[in-house]
Amino acid sequence: MALSQDDVAGIADYARIALTPDELEQMTTYMNEAVELLEPIREYDLEGVEPTFHPIGDLSNVMGADVVDDSVRALPIDRALENAPSAHGRYFRVPSILGDSEEDF
Amino acid sequence: MRKLEDVLKDWEAVIGLEVHTELTALDTKMFCNCRLSHDDPPNTNVCPVCLGMPGALPVPNRKAIQSIVMAGLATNCQIMKHSMFYRKHYFYPDMAKNFQTTQGPVAFCMHGHLDLEVEGAGAAERPLWEDVAADGETPIARAEDGSYTVPIRILRIHMEEDAAKMVHSGGEEGRITGASESFIDYNRCGTPLIELVTEPDLRTPEEARLFMEKLQQTFKTLGISDCSLENGSMRCDGNISLRRRGETRLGTKAEMKNINSFKSLHDALEYEICRQAEVLEEGGIIYQETRHWEPSRRRTVVMRVKETADDYRLFPDPDLAPFDLTDDFIEEARARIPELPDAKAARYVAELGLKRADARQIAGDPAVASFFEEALEGAPAKVVATIANVMVNLAPSFDALTPAQVRGVAGLLAEDAITFAQAREVLEAVNGTDEDPERVVDERGMRQVTDTAALEPIVDEVLARCTDQVQQYHDGNKKVVGYLVGQCMKASHGTGNPKLFNKLLTARLEA
Amino acid sequence: MASLDSLSAAQIAAGVRNGDFTATEVAQAALDAIDGREKDVQAFLQVSADLALKAAAQTDARRAAGEKIGPLAGVPVAFKDNMHLVGTRTTCASRMLENYESVFTATCVRRMLDAGATPVGKANMDEFAFGSTTESSAFHRTNNPWDTSRVPGGSSGGSAAAVAAGEATLALGSDTGGSIRQPASFCGVVGMKPTYGAVSRYGVVAFGSSLDQVGPFGRRVEDVALAMNALTAPGRDPLDSTSQDCAVDFLEHLDDPVEGLSVGVVPQLMEAKGLSQEVRDALAAALDSLRDQGARVVEVDLPNIASAIAAYYVIAPCEAFSNLARFDGVRYGYQEPDCATLAQQTSLSRAHGFGEEAKRRQMLGAYLLSSGVYEKYYYPAQQVRTLITQDYARAYQSCDVILLPSAPTTAWRFGDVSDPTQMYASDMFTISNNICGNGGVSVPLGLSAQTHMPVSAQLQGPAFSDRRLLRFARAIERGVDQGLGLGGGAPVAPAFAGRGGDL
Repeated sequence: MALSQDDVAGIADYARIALTPDELEQMTTYMNEAVELLEPIREYDLEGVEPTFHPIGDLSNVMGADVVDDSVRALPIDRALENAPSAHGRYFRVPSILGDSEEDF
Repeated sequence: MRKLEDVLKDWEAVIGLEVHTELTALDTKMFCNCRLSHDDPPNTNVCPVCLGMPGALPVPNRKAIQSIVMAGLATNCQIMKHSMFYRKHYFYPDMAKNFQTTQGPVAFCMHGHLDLEVEGAGAAERPLWEDVAADGETPIARAEDGSYTVPIRILRIHMEEDAAKMVHSGGEEGRITGASESFIDYNRCGTPLIELVTEPDLRTPEEARLFMEKLQQTFKTLGISDCSLENGSMRCDGNISLRRRGETRLGTKAEMKNINSFKSLHDALEYEICRQAEVLEEGGIIYQETRHWEPSRRRTVVMRVKETADDYRLFPDPDLAPFDLTDDFIEEARARIPELPDAKAARYVAELGLKRADARQIAGDPAVASFFEEALEGAPAKVVATIANVMVNLAPSFDALTPAQVRGVAGLLAEDAITFAQAREVLEAVNGTDEDPERVVDERGMRQVTDTAALEPIVDEVLARCTDQVQQYHDGNKKVVGYLVGQCMKASHGTGNPKLFNKLLTARLEA
Repeated sequence: MASLDSLSAAQIAAGVRNGDFTATEVAQAALDAIDGREKDVQAFLQVSADLALKAAAQTDARRAAGEKIGPLAGVPVAFKDNMHLVGTRTTCASRMLENYESVFTATCVRRMLDAGATPVGKANMDEFAFGSTTESSAFHRTNNPWDTSRVPGGSSGGSAAAVAAGEATLALGSDTGGSIRQPASFCGVVGMKPTYGAVSRYGVVAFGSSLDQVGPFGRRVEDVALAMNALTAPGRDPLDSTSQDCAVDFLEHLDDPVEGLSVGVVPQLMEAKGLSQEVRDALAAALDSLRDQGARVVEVDLPNIASAIAAYYVIAPCEAFSNLARFDGVRYGYQEPDCATLAQQTSLSRAHGFGEEAKRRQMLGAYLLSSGVYEKYYYPAQQVRTLITQDYARAYQSCDVILLPSAPTTAWRFGDVSDPTQMYASDMFTISNNICGNGGVSVPLGLSAQTHMPVSAQLQGPAFSDRRLLRFARAIERGVDQGLGLGGGAPVAPAFAGRGGDL
């Protein structure tokens, strides 16, 4: 079943990617072509086949110690905020989350 | 609105809880080695991993996994050896990667239960005719006083990471509504968090309250978290729906947020049950929505209506190797589990002869229990019950007693050297010091005279003076002896032992 | 007087060690070569002259103090611009990260530097590694040093071109579906994608986390082996949960003969639609050379390999969507100015920060992961992954390595392939190895007679048998050195050789 422009607009909304009407049209064409390329996946009888989410053989139970590492990785505040486009004191800043909407979280 | 007990006669409340507990006892975050923050300045304990910097990768904290296995074992869960971390996506800047690393369909701990002992006034919330638990098989046996025990099933406990804290500016009282901007502090982001989800087995606000209380006691005893509802290290959401008695289909549920005390949990559920009943009885419908408890106004208000189920695009996290927990790992976790409150209380009853209520109260809080056990050291057997009595009835009023002081006061009480009222005075005097209660008693001349020879003249004097009361006694009013004891106490300026006076007076009157 | 163009990494390190020249002189020569060549090749997004000279000076100081210097002492290295190096920006060739300052150094970069290498700069790439030509870089294209009207391949096109043009002796790239092996093939250099887990991914901006693997480029197999040693010798990286120990010396046995070992060929792949005659001919010559050196040739079957592209284009976009969700313009990255709400800021920052292909892949991934679609594509794709992995395991029961093309054609001209889904098909020979996590290496066979562009063979092997892969690669290189009939081996592209770079 082909994806409509409405479907694609819904995905773009979810993925937080604003699309112009032209872009939406092109994206819809692309998405449908790309999904067609994936059809071989649906032609298999995969009954009883385990998925491979991790191509790492038998590797499992990888864990680290509960030990504070202040020296190597911890970022001092100026480094933590170095790449932030907007900050407020020691905080990262974002504009109004709800805007004028009445909805609350 | 109708009262809860009336509503629950017509309606069955179906309640499930989701409880998030931060593993505050750990030193570091879930997937990096940042220190766990308590009251640090914003963005103090952050690194590329918990800030979601590009290129950073997670490594699970072994002790966090061990802690959740302990939590699962302590709540009778099945420990799932094979499980994976998943990514749960939602765009919100409190989660630095815009996905939360959590678990998928299989959690580390599945299908457990806790047995609740519901006693006292709260037991009456569940209508007396109900006799089977929500699992459909366990009978609920009622004691004569109405108390009962009911199993509450736990669906799962999974491992995840906490979100950042946000500060909203420009709105009313720091609320997000009306805020013109918000500030983010990632100190909490990545804190190890375990989420426990119950089956919808709870039927009354009291049961919900007791479940949370028991869970808090259990996790505290495990030593995995400080479990503070007030500070948010333990957080509870409640799902609640109503159905007519006898109906088997579930009604539409509302989700309750902002519950930060046991009382709030009880009261919010009570309010919500009554509200839903009123809506339904007036022919209205319940929306699937999230509601916020306002303790000051004692009501719930709607936060948002869920029109469609959120689609979180869950998939196994490719950056994290799967888990195949070994028997050794599980046994190591099991070996770290201390005696749990139920077992401890049972032992106190069986071995020390404590009253059940006292035993449960002491065993419920690991700090109180270990204080109690220290106070027992070197105490003669006959003082044990008195120590428990002091622990339950007196000690909670004081913040800086030593176990030895409690033991000392209990000893004095047990040998009738002081009264209960004096015991309180002594504890107050020694609180926060290293004073020996015995010395305080002696210094203040509080020690009661227990020498019969010294007390007999006073008894003689009082009996001679109070002829009316003596007559009343002989007329059958045995209670009047209390008045006579009071007179003796007065005459001895409080130094005589009231129990001894009672004994002497009774002997003389009956002679 | 020597030229960097004619020195291998091993020779440079030996020269520094022996005092024939200093690391600083090498660094200056490399910067000089970049200066003379970069305008025509445009392999770099950033040349890190200060860091290079500082690192070289440290190497020289260590040597002067009598301290041990590393096996890559003084060797000029370029890093793909998705690898963090403190003191440089890491842009992933995206507007999104145009001004992103690295806040830590990637493990792979750290290990190269610890081995004594000199960091000369950050190499161009397809934006966030999405592409096969480096054309999707938000900043500029990179030209193929063998013919500047042709693409260098991608996504690690800048890394491959820098090595081919003699601007760096070694480079690191990352390979998610062929992004090391295909540009290596297009640019006529050796490029290795090690087994998944052999090299740490910590500090490399992720594209497809279960597919990405970092690996080296060099003009000689020995140089690649040297770089592999630097990347793996310190053992598994505790900061990457999927990394594993790979405790072998890649130089040991490098020159051992392949006599008695077996090389597998997959007849079905050699008949694949889209495989050009020049590549097919070159592969036949490479196979003859291995046979002449005593290797046994066996036919093997990979029955499910045709579905690898489909499986890949399910898994990779899903992981990409997830990995790129963090770019919301809050903690770092492009932030759309003057937005009234967070939602608006996020959507516009992502719309304007990301290029077309980055948006396409994320959209596809967001769709494929949605509820109901996940079950139809994502889960079955991971099951097909199992089948492909089993195919390889079965094949490796009868052969030690498999020989196949790195790319179906030689490098094409800019603009010749523009349709994204058509472009995806150019990864047909490389993708399956990322699907199952095995190692692969692209080895130059010389120039084709038809296009006069480099043509390469790819060797694939079982997981953690990367050393044996390099032994086969070295055997092919020996054959090329002795004249396979395809011209010389892997020198610096002639149009660039000798333009600066004198020592």
